[in-house]
Amino acid sequence: MRALEQRRAQTARPSRSSVALVRRHKPDYVLLVLTLILLAVGLIVVYSISPALAVEKGVNGGQYVTRQLIGIGLGLGLFAVASRIPIHVWRRVLTPMLVVACLATLLTLLLPVNEEYPAHRWIRFGGFSFQSVELLKFTLIVWLANFLVYRIEKNLLDSFQKTWRPLLLVLAAIGIVVAGLQSDLGSAAVIAAIMVAMVFVSGVPLKRVLMVGGIVLIGVVLFIATSDYRRDRLATFMNPEANCLSTGYQACQALIAVGSGGMAGLGLGNSVQAYGYLPEAENDSIFAIYAEKFGFIGVTVLLGLFIALFSRIKQTADRAPDEFSRLVVVGILVWLSTQAIINIGAMIGLLPLKGITLPLISYGGSSVLMVLAVLGVVFHVSRYTTSQTARNGYINRGDSYDNSRNGRRFRGAYNPAFGSRR
Amino acid sequence: MKPFSVQSVSVRRIHVWYALIVLVFAVFVVRLFYLQIIRHDHYKAAAQSDQYKEYEIPASRGVIKAHDGERVIPIVLNQELFTVYVDPQLIKDKAKAADALVKTLGGDKAAYEAAMQQDSRYEVVAKKVTREQKEALLNHKLPGIGAQSQEYRTYPQGSLAAQVLGFVDDSGTGRYGIEQALNKKLAGKPGELKAVTDINGVPLAASEDNIRRPAIPGKDVILTIDIGMQKQAEQLLKQGLERARSDSGSVVILDAKNGAVKAMANYPTYDPAAYQQVENADLFVNNAVAGALEVGSVMKPITAAAALDMKVVRPDSTFYDARQIKIDDATVRNIEEDGGAGTKSIADILNLSLNTGATWLLMQMGGGELNRQGREAWYNYMTNHFRFGKETGIEQGYESPGTVPSPTEGYGLNITYANTSFGQAMTATMLQMAAAYAAVLNGGTYYQPHLVEATISSDGTREDTKPKVLAKNVVSPEVSKQIQGMLEYVVDKHHFARQFSDAYSVGGKTGTAQIASPSGGYLENEYNGTYVGFVGGDSAEYIIAVLVNKPKIPGYAGSRAAQPLFGDIAHMLIDNFNVTTKTR
Repeated sequence: MRALEQRRAQTARPSRSSVALVRRHKPDYVLLVLTLILLAVGLIVVYSISPALAVEKGVNGGQYVTRQLIGIGLGLGLFAVASRIPIHVWRRVLTPMLVVACLATLLTLLLPVNEEYPAHRWIRFGGFSFQSVELLKFTLIVWLANFLVYRIEKNLLDSFQKTWRPLLLVLAAIGIVVAGLQSDLGSAAVIAAIMVAMVFVSGVPLKRVLMVGGIVLIGVVLFIATSDYRRDRLATFMNPEANCLSTGYQACQALIAVGSGGMAGLGLGNSVQAYGYLPEAENDSIFAIYAEKFGFIGVTVLLGLFIALFSRIKQTADRAPDEFSRLVVVGILVWLSTQAIINIGAMIGLLPLKGITLPLISYGGSSVLMVLAVLGVVFHVSRYTTSQTARNGYINRGDSYDNSRNGRRFRGAYNPAFGSRR
Repeated sequence: MKPFSVQSVSVRRIHVWYALIVLVFAVFVVRLFYLQIIRHDHYKAAAQSDQYKEYEIPASRGVIKAHDGERVIPIVLNQELFTVYVDPQLIKDKAKAADALVKTLGGDKAAYEAAMQQDSRYEVVAKKVTREQKEALLNHKLPGIGAQSQEYRTYPQGSLAAQVLGFVDDSGTGRYGIEQALNKKLAGKPGELKAVTDINGVPLAASEDNIRRPAIPGKDVILTIDIGMQKQAEQLLKQGLERARSDSGSVVILDAKNGAVKAMANYPTYDPAAYQQVENADLFVNNAVAGALEVGSVMKPITAAAALDMKVVRPDSTFYDARQIKIDDATVRNIEEDGGAGTKSIADILNLSLNTGATWLLMQMGGGELNRQGREAWYNYMTNHFRFGKETGIEQGYESPGTVPSPTEGYGLNITYANTSFGQAMTATMLQMAAAYAAVLNGGTYYQPHLVEATISSDGTREDTKPKVLAKNVVSPEVSKQIQGMLEYVVDKHHFARQFSDAYSVGGKTGTAQIASPSGGYLENEYNGTYVGFVGGDSAEYIIAVLVNKPKIPGYAGSRAAQPLFGDIAHMLIDNFNVTTKTR
């Protein structure tokens, strides 16, 4: 059977752009379930610390849960919508997306800053605020996937002129805007990771990856070394407990929260660090609060849930019906995993603190909205995966012609390239 | 296979990247194991030292009440005010926080901002903030700004009886007066709170390690003071001092039958609500209790009472007054208006204020001469009967016991003891004088002078102060009546601006006391005027002791400065305070 499929695939000779005819099938519900479990964990933590937030911020604690529920509701709506949008529609609306993302970024730079967080990162409307960089990340993923697919097809991946120069320019531009003007180092790091990973996965020669990686690393070192503020942050990271009362305060309190959790944690309602000790308890620091409440056992479970989620996304990327989908899903995988790594790493003193949220767990509208939306995109792709993972340098494409379980060939078959059913 | 080579790398590299993610998460688990299991004790201790706080729950201080006619009303109350502090660590926008402080509390923005720059977690920026101001400030909901409540004393009667009351300092300790003497009772017992708290120190209900012992509020104190009498005494004292061109003085009004102080005034005084603004700490001192002085001739009735009680003289005893007595190389002299040399009675000794007469009385105690027997007898009466040289134990800070010279040790004991017979060379407070007079005039019982009528615990239990008898049979009841009669005779023979009605018995004795000079000997031309007397019906009801320091009007300080003030106060009592009338 397998041999037959292989032969068929080869005789069909699909083009390099991997425009495959894949039958729409059941999406990956495990992905959805894991997403919902993580959302529930986040909501429970936010709910359990809302009395503390109410006391410390002098607001009605219920509003955190309410707003998080609204964010999750809207996010799940976006998830549903995104999961129904054919993947290649994103390619077609790439230009308007780029325009919107650039305008939104420009808007954040022009709008007055909020006193509480004096950085040009947010667009506010009504009670909600939106970080333009979230939109930028997704737009970048779509653009980069499109860009790389074209170069894979034209075999231009190793061309400095056609590939490396534009990539480095885009990276530099985003670096200047996000890391420089918005002073959002965390997001800049996430974006850099997305770009590196997608280029890496697209199949550029390894030595080129290492070379460019080296250049980027030098750039990052220079970037940090040229600013007192960033040097301070680094020094704080290196030795947080020496600066517990000043720059290392949050890092210290995060370590105290995590460490005091012990094996089993203090229990759901018993976080003390949320009572004003640990800043951003509901948001950037939520992992430390979780660790305080649920202990080593709890965090191991949480990390396991994340790994499980990432494994499902990875599997979707593996089995993606075409290169574009695969690259988009890889971009999303790197986005969410890097963000989780940066956030958790900071809370346990392995990475410097960045103002970055823990996907699906942290309180905060724009993060939840965008994370759920892009998971919707993954969910969509999971409807069109091939039945077997590509292994040993070979992707089984045959089943797109042959996966009709009841023998009705081509029924419901779908060419994602054109976004319509036949 | 070639056409798929690019793709094959792509998928393998996804796995490589995914493996990196898993690896990082594995490192995280190891790190978490290190933090949460291996270093758990360290971080638990760090959390405890941050989160576990020990507090004293302040106990509400007892209020002080006094009589206002039939009623008992508070004269010292508590007011809850707030201390505003900032936690510089939690303040995000210093300018905005400082603006909110200026807007609600007033004050200097730069000072607030300076406090917010401190490298601490608790900086007091304002004290004595009202509840309204505090709430307006906290309504801004700025992180890092908080307020703690603190009790402050308020004085509805202003500076009334200020030195008797004393004040409560910033640390909550009573200073001077009742506040000092009864600090323990008034303060109560602070509670204790050991708890895991939020960052602002508010205990979290959740922790089982919390220890809470509630505070026991201080006891309320009801004074024997009558507010109306105190008010008028203060007023009359001030007028009397102005009239005598004196800058300070005291008045004590004592209930002769139980030692209760009904009024105790000093001038100048101060406002206890603004004690911080007082530059001269002498103003805090209740001189009627703390200021022992050589009292002068007001001592003579005590000497006479002692001699009569020892039965070394009789009420009708007389002696020949040569206007002076030589003792060793010193001479005791009378004042000029002593009625000339001649035979004088004991009543004459008091009326004419004969120093020679007082010395004669002392000589009778020694069998007719100044000797050790007489000195020891007089010393015994002074210290054990009239309790000079001993604190009365009144509920006041810094009470002075006064001094009584030893009858057996020292130089010139005879002249020294001759001096004590007319109130020099020994010191006493005006309160001690009033108490001794009370003991003589009430039939011979020395009641401890006291200011506290009762204390009331927070649960409502009232504990009355029973008049405490410090000495019985100070003098016999007969001697008591004899001295009362002689003092009435003295008042009768002296001129008062307004005569006393025959319905009341009024008696007393002046004193013009020499003032010991710091350089030895006595000051020239400067005297303290004293007067101790009584008003009542058949027997003395109120003892009045008056002191006018260094009056600058001509004439004897006792008769020109202190006596008119005594007269005013005696009239005030008769006019306004239902002094019982004579029945015979």
